Amino acid sequence: MTRTTRRRRLTVAAALATVTVLAATACAPRTGTTDSSPEKIDAATLVTSLPAATTAVDEVTWAVVEGEPQTLDPSSSANIIIPNLCDSLLTVEPDFTLESGIAETAEWIDPVTFEITVRDGVAFWDGTPLTAADVAYSLERNRTPASQWYAAFALISSIETSGDDTVLVHFTAPDTTFRDALGGGGGAVMSKAFGDTVGQDLGTSGGGLMCAGPYRLDEWKPGTEISVTANPDYWNGAPLTERIRFVFVTDGATLTSALTAGEIDGAFTVPPGSRQSFEAEGEGRLIAGPSTASYSFGPASADSAAADPRVRQALSLAIDRSTYIDTVLQGLGEVQKTIVPPFVWSGMEAKDIYQDAYDALPAPEVDLDAAKKLIAESGIDTSVPLVLAVPAGAKEFSQTASIVQSAAKDIGLTISIDERQPADFGALFYTPELREGIDFVATTGYLEVPGVLGYPQLFMLPAEIGGIFNWSGYANDEVTADLQAARTATDATTAADAFVSAQEIFAADQLQVTLAGAYQLTYLSDDLTGITTSVAIYSSPWALHLGGE
Amino acid sequence: MIRMVLGKLGGLALTLFLASVIIFSALLLTPGDPVSALAGGARPTPELIAAIRAEYRLDDPVWLQYLHWLGGVVTGDFGRSFVYKTDVSVLVGARFEVTFQLVLLTTALIAVFGLGSGILAAVSGRRTDMIVSVSTSLGMALPTFIVAILLIWIFATSLGWFPTFGAGDEGLDRLWHLVLPAASLALMFIAYISRVTRSALVAQLHSEHVETARVRGIPWPRVFRRHVFHNAAPQILAISGTTIAGLFAASAIAEQAFGLGGIGSLLTEAAARKDLPVVQVVSLLLVTLFVVLNAIADLLAAAIDPDSAGTRRNA
Repeated sequence: MTRTTRRRRLTVAAALATVTVLAATACAPRTGTTDSSPEKIDAATLVTSLPAATTAVDEVTWAVVEGEPQTLDPSSSANIIIPNLCDSLLTVEPDFTLESGIAETAEWIDPVTFEITVRDGVAFWDGTPLTAADVAYSLERNRTPASQWYAAFALISSIETSGDDTVLVHFTAPDTTFRDALGGGGGAVMSKAFGDTVGQDLGTSGGGLMCAGPYRLDEWKPGTEISVTANPDYWNGAPLTERIRFVFVTDGATLTSALTAGEIDGAFTVPPGSRQSFEAEGEGRLIAGPSTASYSFGPASADSAAADPRVRQALSLAIDRSTYIDTVLQGLGEVQKTIVPPFVWSGMEAKDIYQDAYDALPAPEVDLDAAKKLIAESGIDTSVPLVLAVPAGAKEFSQTASIVQSAAKDIGLTISIDERQPADFGALFYTPELREGIDFVATTGYLEVPGVLGYPQLFMLPAEIGGIFNWSGYANDEVTADLQAARTATDATTAADAFVSAQEIFAADQLQVTLAGAYQLTYLSDDLTGITTSVAIYSSPWALHLGGE
Repeated sequence: MIRMVLGKLGGLALTLFLASVIIFSALLLTPGDPVSALAGGARPTPELIAAIRAEYRLDDPVWLQYLHWLGGVVTGDFGRSFVYKTDVSVLVGARFEVTFQLVLLTTALIAVFGLGSGILAAVSGRRTDMIVSVSTSLGMALPTFIVAILLIWIFATSLGWFPTFGAGDEGLDRLWHLVLPAASLALMFIAYISRVTRSALVAQLHSEHVETARVRGIPWPRVFRRHVFHNAAPQILAISGTTIAGLFAASAIAEQAFGLGGIGSLLTEAAARKDLPVVQVVSLLLVTLFVVLNAIADLLAAAIDPDSAGTRRNA
């Protein structure tokens, strides 16, 4: 939205007075030190989406806090722009339930065959009709390890079209994770003809895209912005906002001032550290929504003290989650009992089974005596410092590191912190040599589609069957059997029962020491409404109903 | 003069060649694995990592990789970004404009305020000299990002006179968007140039020939122009050349603070992500700019005062 007049016209004197006040108060969110604990938000008041807009808007400027996307190709990237461009076969609703999307139906017709029927009358931006061949082409692109969504496509044996609007996907074994994955980028449909033409440039600033979403890719100026315009022929109704300009703002302070000054109309995943500035007088409001995002740390090698569950349990018992949430998340998060975040199954068919099992898990608590006892039992050499690797430059992680460090000190452990630049930190995840000398790695992540197996498969299965982040060599036959059973079950109840039985074991072993669940934070101009405000923004067209209030 | 230009060109070519070797090998020797940039968001299996390494020749010996790269650069193929999978020339071209405009505006600010306050301090009374001296000490002590935060608070957030963010559209809107970034980038250099100018002028003011000229009754404005400024100019120019060339690299901080997608922020971002082709080309571009701008400053100085430039070169 372009503003022709600025709301505030202050005299020089008044402005200078404001600066003094800002110097005294606004420093707090920047440095993250506050005198009193920030106010907690009741989980029941979290907002999944804002009421649909009623008036049209010419232009909205939106900040992408992750920075310029590497690509808009849905199979190689997850970012907040793609879901508005490329519709998926299924749609993840703001409350994390799964509804039909480009697929009218997408169901198992037998334990190893999945049938997709394409919705009638869906067309790409250029007007060509979307067919089963385009669906098969798009799914096929995820059958390589280079795809972000490969895990959910690993059990596929073949994909074939059976008519103009039907696709059959054949599996080597049943797979409960596949249907959920179709709600995210893995199920995004692109034009085969366009993809064949542009080849490897697909999704880049030069190659572009051809999809069937509510917005069309208009222009990508590298380093500056990506602009999209409303698709008037969208199958689910044209958006009210004519144009969205996505600008890239990775600096938290710059983002905060541009948002509160109204130069940028909105942003997702804004820094919790700026909570005070966002809640102060400004051009918009801060909205907290449910999320699957969490902060955690886990073992980096099999021959470290960190590979002993008792050491992780002890650290978990030493960390005060409430202080953690106040400090790192400014109160904008909640205690999360285990690695699998509750929101991820909140819309699933067997959610009651998941809920009951989650309720039965012990809540994290502080018990220094028990922690010290565990350390003594483990028999580890406490004179050797344990190294915790964190990404450099992120305030949340430097705070996380110091909290873990000081908690460890309380139970007689020494933690030394190894801050790594983003590329080096990223490389830790798949270059084993780089993890030498590191005991723990702190991470954050979110799951963009429903489904409970995303994290457990990566962290708890033996490496050769998919546990690529299982660096401590964790191998529990029961957990492995249950997780495999949960994946290949043919009904939701069996899958849920098998999963919760695995969870009972792995939750206690704390393959990742979960520190907190973080809410999805959105800042939006007071003049606008209609967006999704839960973590579903990463997989559903969140700007479809965006417009004036 | 022609010999000097030719000499400069030869030196320039040699410098660039050496710089390209250093840049290329230094990047490969620094820790971190470019595969992380190449893999993007995927969770690569060992097979995929091997395929990526083969495709991008990461397992070739460094000298072979260098020759391959140099061959590309010479024929105008700057390679593809590991991260954005697009031609580096496209990425760099799109961002160069903003940085160039930012540096141009910053240079103008430095020229007006740096030279202006330096001259003022040299020729005015003691009190003005003191004020300028204190201000420049302060200016040199304030890091660019602090100045940026202060300027945003005062002139963008509170007064609302300038935008806090972005490069705006072409023309006047762009200029308006670049004022605060340029001011925050310029402050430190204004102070620096002011000091250099002042001391160069003061040295001339106290020199024998100026005394003589004044005693001979030549009008003061003429003495200042012909003797003082003329003799001090080569030194000021040489320092200014280095300063302006350095602005291209220094712009990263201002670009970051004001969300301008320029060359400086591209370089920091690419370095953090280990996007080798981008870092190589941008570094080489910065070195080229540095060398060329310095050469231009030298030539200008020589044009103003051949003797002085000659002495400086031989010194």
